[in-house]
Amino acid sequence: MRYFDRLHPISAFCYFLMMLLVAMLTMHPVIVTVCYLSSVTFLGMLIGGRKLLSSLAYSVPLVLMLAVTNPMFVHRGETILFFLNDNPVTREAIVYGVFASMMLMSVFYLCRCYSEIMTADKFIYLFGRAIPKLSLVLSMILAFLPKMKRKFREIDEAQRALGIYATESYVDRIRSRMRVLSILLTNSFETSVETADSMRARGYGLRGRTSYAIYRFTPSDAMYLLFTLAAGGALFALILSGGADFSYYPALTPLTWSPRDAALTLLLVTLAGSSVFMEVKETVLWHYLRSGI
Amino acid sequence: MALLEIRNLNFTYSGKEEPALKDISLSVESGDFVLLCGESGCGKTTLLKLLKPELRPAGRCEGEILFLDTPTDKLDARTSVTEIGYVMQNPENQTVTDKVWHELAFGLESLGESTPVIRRKVAEICGFFGIGDWYHKKTSELSGGQKQLLALASVMVMNPRVLILDEPTAQLDPIAAASFLASLRKINEELGITVIIAEHRLEEVFPMANRVLLMDRAKVCLYDTPRRVGALLSGGTVPHKLAVGMPAAVRLFAALGESGESPLTVREGKQYIATHFYDTEKRCELPEKPAEEREVAIGIAGGYFRYERETPDVLSGLDLEIYKNEILCILGANGAGKTTLLRVLSGVRRLYKGKYRLWGKKIKEYNTNTLYRGNIACLPQNPQNLFVKNTVYDDLLEVTKLFGIPKGEREEKIGRLADRLGITPLFGAHPYDLSGGEQQKAALLKLLLMDPKILLLDEPTKGLDPASKVTFAAILADLKKEGKTIVLVTHDVEFAAEYADRCAMFFDGQIVSVADRVDFFSENRYYTTAAARMTRPMFENAVTVEMAVKLCLENGRRP
Repeated sequence: MRYFDRLHPISAFCYFLMMLLVAMLTMHPVIVTVCYLSSVTFLGMLIGGRKLLSSLAYSVPLVLMLAVTNPMFVHRGETILFFLNDNPVTREAIVYGVFASMMLMSVFYLCRCYSEIMTADKFIYLFGRAIPKLSLVLSMILAFLPKMKRKFREIDEAQRALGIYATESYVDRIRSRMRVLSILLTNSFETSVETADSMRARGYGLRGRTSYAIYRFTPSDAMYLLFTLAAGGALFALILSGGADFSYYPALTPLTWSPRDAALTLLLVTLAGSSVFMEVKETVLWHYLRSGI
Repeated sequence: MALLEIRNLNFTYSGKEEPALKDISLSVESGDFVLLCGESGCGKTTLLKLLKPELRPAGRCEGEILFLDTPTDKLDARTSVTEIGYVMQNPENQTVTDKVWHELAFGLESLGESTPVIRRKVAEICGFFGIGDWYHKKTSELSGGQKQLLALASVMVMNPRVLILDEPTAQLDPIAAASFLASLRKINEELGITVIIAEHRLEEVFPMANRVLLMDRAKVCLYDTPRRVGALLSGGTVPHKLAVGMPAAVRLFAALGESGESPLTVREGKQYIATHFYDTEKRCELPEKPAEEREVAIGIAGGYFRYERETPDVLSGLDLEIYKNEILCILGANGAGKTTLLRVLSGVRRLYKGKYRLWGKKIKEYNTNTLYRGNIACLPQNPQNLFVKNTVYDDLLEVTKLFGIPKGEREEKIGRLADRLGITPLFGAHPYDLSGGEQQKAALLKLLLMDPKILLLDEPTKGLDPASKVTFAAILADLKKEGKTIVLVTHDVEFAAEYADRCAMFFDGQIVSVADRVDFFSENRYYTTAAARMTRPMFENAVTVEMAVKLCLENGRRP
């Protein structure tokens, strides 16, 4: 069981929100690197090393490719390394290419982590509170789609075995699709009448409907939520006050190590690393507890 | 005070002349298990829906329905939602939400219960039905049996006093149906909740009931204890078409013209035969079949099939010969791959290894035209998947155009076949408004327009009432006489034993046994008909009730 699966949706969502904002707000090389590394490790914890490797197998080359292509088209920057077809290739453009693509990738990996953890029902739970009707509709749609898909296949096969439109011609294929869709439509109308009956039979439409969720907000969920909010808030304050300003052109801003920089890095590492830390803790704890049995 | 009391109930749907219910009066006591049976279209569903105020159909209603002495239309909305539970036929259509836990909570949410209360009640119900294992699953990932159990649980969670079920097992395979009925029995016996259930498959549910309500053409034809139904059947007060669906023991009892209390289960039937009849004559004489060289319609040798490269074989080493002009039933457990086999037979899917010859020619040598026009036709499990137009007639006309039947012949051809199947009166109706049996016939007619030599039918008896099954069997026999070859894939052991020529058992990707129907079912010990199980070891080859009756009469009664 992964820690983030057990975490209350609001705490998990808050973490992802903070991280995504930080990752997208600035291109400071230290922040980008920390975000990239933490999101890759986190995904590795969630989906396992093997799947992560196969994902890195195409994302790392992509980063390298962007790093190479950026200086080919952008010729800004004062440190010229060499000339390619009479065009200057600058160090600044290469560095920018690397960090821009790393930032892109860290957002991508954060989104992958998000979709691993924040399943549709958690999303519905979070945003359905405000509009209970909408959350029910969303849940019904999610139940309806797989039904439609299966039904489509069933009808398609039945029609195919009739031997009509079985040729490969383009027109026939479109016509057979139209036919299947028209049957599907009639069928869904018919079945939705029954679904409505089933809802009415179970009291849908009575006044004072509540909305039930299986999630429980525990003290540890609250702690984590507070932590992400506090760390994230402090980070934004620092970033917005110019702590993460960095320019690539015309010359790279030199990296300094002022107290503000140190605080910013420390905060970011704790926030970004908290997910990995929690997952590692969970695994270690589990092994420890198991050995105690 | 009766729990439910119905007094002189008449009901006519709005826009219809003929009443759907005529003069119904009956009462249901608390804790009763009432089994409602009758042909489809006899008013069962109408009656059940009238009992649940939320589902009351539109129409003119006379008479009274009292729930604990209160007319149901005057019941408080919350009371009627909670006290009267209703489970429908189709497990797919009555699931509303995407997650199992949400489905269970749905009713309680409507009632406005608080989260802790819902959590406790849902937990309780999960324990009772053993749903804990799939509590977090998506509803779309459940099997049909699980879905239906979920539908039952999500009604039970509201703690009803009476549970109404409209053919809940019609769409389930026999194993899932049996486990569903076992849950119902538990609800009735352990919780004392009143159950009113409409069913076609009576073998298992009949002994559970303490009241049987037989309906015929909008009227109550009998309302009595199950044990007395047998005697009433033999007395001739019940139309024959209703008698055919009864459990084997009851039918045997009725056919022997007995009176008094009838046996209900296989065990009781066995004891009954053993104590009342001699068993000197063990075998039923069967007409000798002349050994003849028969033309092979479909021959498969060493057939292998799988859907994806990574998935396991669904057919592995399949050998099957289907003769011309026979009715072959292929039986097998759920999920064994019977439907896949049918897809391969119909040519929609191809074997990756092995030989498939159709009329002696390789399947590859056929194209779409030669394969599906005048050769093979396949009736899908759900005939609704074939209907395109808004009336039966338009639907048929449309398909003749697609099949390329010349314009002048179309109407004549449809008319001729429709008369034979007896669906001419239904021409103006919407295909979805027909009963299951009628839909089956309309779909079959569609296939027959192509003059197929081989008919492949996927679970054609699923959800049909016993009377429709008899009509359907008669149609099949008629088609066979015409020279057609018919292959059925089915769970329905009783149907196969009654109407097939040969039966084959499909297991683990192969046909493990194939034999003449009587040999097939008399050699099987577990996977066989109720009649065969009931008459063993006294008789050896009585696989149908008729054969058992014949042997009983031949042997004579013990003094």
